[in-house]
Amino acid sequence: MASLGTFTLLAALVACAYAAAAAVAGARRGSSRLIESGIHAFYFVAALMTVASVLMVQAFVTNEYSIKYVAHYSDAAQPLIYKLSSYWGGLDGSILFWVFLLSAFGAGAVAANRARHRALIPYVVATLSIVELFFVFLMVVHKNPFDAFLVEVPPDGRGLNPLLQNPYMAIHPPALYVGFVGMAIPYAFAMAALITGRLDDSWLQAVRRWTMLSWLFLSFGLTLGMIWAYEVLGWGGYWGWDPVENAGLLPWFTATAFLHSLKVQERRGMLRVWNVSLVVTTFFLTIFGTFMTRSGIVQSVHAFGEDRQLAIMFSVFMVVVLNVSYGYIIYRLPLLRPRHELDSWVSRESAVLANNWLLLFAALFVLFATMFPTLSEAIGGERMAIGAPFFAKWTVPIGLVLLLLTGIGPLLGWRRPTAANLRGQLFWPAVAALVTGAAVTALRVPLWAAGICFALCAFVAAGIVQEFVRGALVRHRTAGIGVPAALASLIARSRRRYGGYVVHLGVALMFVGFAGTQFKIDVQALLKPGEQASAGAFVVRHDAVRVTDDGQKQMITAEVTVFRGGREVGKLHPARWLYRKHEQEPATEVAIRRGLASDLYIIMPGFELKDQSVSLQIIVNPLVSWIWVGFCVLALGALIALMPDRVFRFAAERAPEAAVASPPGR
Amino acid sequence: MKHKAVKIGITATVLVLALAGLMWSTLREGTEYYKHVDEVMVNPEAWQGKRLQLHGFVVRDSILRRRDSFDYRFEIQSKGKTLAAHYTGIVPDTFADDAEVVLKGTLEADGFHVAPNGVMAKCPSKYEANKSASSAPGTQ
Repeated sequence: MASLGTFTLLAALVACAYAAAAAVAGARRGSSRLIESGIHAFYFVAALMTVASVLMVQAFVTNEYSIKYVAHYSDAAQPLIYKLSSYWGGLDGSILFWVFLLSAFGAGAVAANRARHRALIPYVVATLSIVELFFVFLMVVHKNPFDAFLVEVPPDGRGLNPLLQNPYMAIHPPALYVGFVGMAIPYAFAMAALITGRLDDSWLQAVRRWTMLSWLFLSFGLTLGMIWAYEVLGWGGYWGWDPVENAGLLPWFTATAFLHSLKVQERRGMLRVWNVSLVVTTFFLTIFGTFMTRSGIVQSVHAFGEDRQLAIMFSVFMVVVLNVSYGYIIYRLPLLRPRHELDSWVSRESAVLANNWLLLFAALFVLFATMFPTLSEAIGGERMAIGAPFFAKWTVPIGLVLLLLTGIGPLLGWRRPTAANLRGQLFWPAVAALVTGAAVTALRVPLWAAGICFALCAFVAAGIVQEFVRGALVRHRTAGIGVPAALASLIARSRRRYGGYVVHLGVALMFVGFAGTQFKIDVQALLKPGEQASAGAFVVRHDAVRVTDDGQKQMITAEVTVFRGGREVGKLHPARWLYRKHEQEPATEVAIRRGLASDLYIIMPGFELKDQSVSLQIIVNPLVSWIWVGFCVLALGALIALMPDRVFRFAAERAPEAAVASPPGR
Repeated sequence: MKHKAVKIGITATVLVLALAGLMWSTLREGTEYYKHVDEVMVNPEAWQGKRLQLHGFVVRDSILRRRDSFDYRFEIQSKGKTLAAHYTGIVPDTFADDAEVVLKGTLEADGFHVAPNGVMAKCPSKYEANKSASSAPGTQ
């Protein structure tokens, strides 16, 4: 089986190379047969990668320990679901999985756009094939997941790291990978547009949905990562500005920027160089993030194995990508002239522009700060470290200004809005912000960061509600339909716009959750049975320690009772799990009592079985749940924007065509 | 067109300079030296009072904990040089004899004072190649 897997990879290598060559040659000679053949080779790569994936999964399910990768990341006692997720639990397998997703995504994108964007497709195929070629090459020469033991096959595997044996960890990597990999599609179309010189807006149209979908998955992956860090790692937070986390965040910033500036190009024909650059940068950052976390160039608490060879191969690839892409952008500058100039600094365009600059700055800042220890060592010889407080010092103001723009942007009209128009649009949101600001100040919430954040969230939410209400009322009056029907047809008529508003609402809710960090309470206590400790509004009583075993692991569980306002509100069970073969790495099982106002979060870092005493870390995390709620709203908004037309046809049909006018303020 | 280019150029320069200045000033307070024990012990006086991230290994059988408290005293070493350390708080799971640790804190005359939550245990076997690019943890 191992050799079959390796053979599949070799075949994929050849097929990738052929697809790229045939597509380019076909396009240059105008031979549709060659192009056709390239496209088929491209599909064939997707089929081969599917076969390789099936082989890998089968190896895990059938406990094929002769394959080193399987022996390293799986064992017989592991539940089936984690045997499957072991596929992407390690470095080699994750690259295989990456290529599999890229080839599948790529095949989908090519199939969907083949007829509409005939001229671009050969170069799209070529670009994607070359990217796949690089990763397949990486596997074949350096990190073959199908490497087998030549002698002495181990009787059992070492098992997946216990920290990764968690439902969130089973779906987090695929979600994030889909996001990462998906960003290669817009890149491929952008490159095709640059190479062919067909730089009208048609390539944007082709990639809009793919970018949106990838962005949604990227957001989903990042959120799952936060939930995982929060529930599994047990340090009481969800984001620690670790290089690995930052790697996922970098392309998110630039992709978010692109989703906004794309609209400006569609509407006004501006920001054309900027858009191409953003797509290239986003793709580059996905590769760079992969490189950063796998080559050991950045030191993190999570010691990644250092791997010079991998670092060199990635560096070469990145240099090539950067040079070719930006080289083409410079070469095509004459074709990328804007069709319009900025009319006014108070307009939708300029708000988007400001938002783009900020997002790009945020990406650059995070990149710089993440790389700083490495840079300082390379330049000054002294390794300097940067802590989370430094990140917070910069990202909090950036985040707040972004939040402000999130609120203002949708309220500003295109081109040059009139003063009366601005007053009408901004009045109620500003009132909402001021009232909220006054209310939280009265509640003695510190104004810096949290207070301002709450006020801005109110501003954003009020602006969005106003848009919905006004839009629905106009529809209600002109079409003479009921308000709910008017609202539905409003959304159906411009899904991207109203979906976008819902996304904004989700972001505002997430910021409410972020602001809660400022009120975190952290108590450490050493308790004998019957003793109690208090944290914020909660009192926690330690009752007993239990020891149990389920065959895969030994579980030491503390039983604690939680009181609030003198009343018992529940029992929690923080625990330590000792997995077989991983006894030296006990896993912390966090106990969380969730609430919309605040989470009670208990960890048991130490215990003494003799006298049943435990040391507990009791953390009160206010408002954390709003981050997860906010993400659900964001996802809903993104789905509304992504929905195909026919889903909404029922709503649109109710409104007569004549009545479908844009509401005022546009 | 030229006029506009000049305006954009000046704005960009001012912005970049302002941000670079801000970055420089915040960097000076925000950074810590990342040092190994032996590097610091060459000339301990020079490092006293400075914020450090100290990399080393816990000396075997050196961990002492005051009864019924979170007060720890232990020694860390690298390349034969050892240094006493003090810490109050909860230690991570992997903090044990011979563990590779990074300590955040300051060096004083009587040893290294670890800041609250400043013990980061590094366990190479734990994450070694076991982390995919995405599995984004934030252990502090």
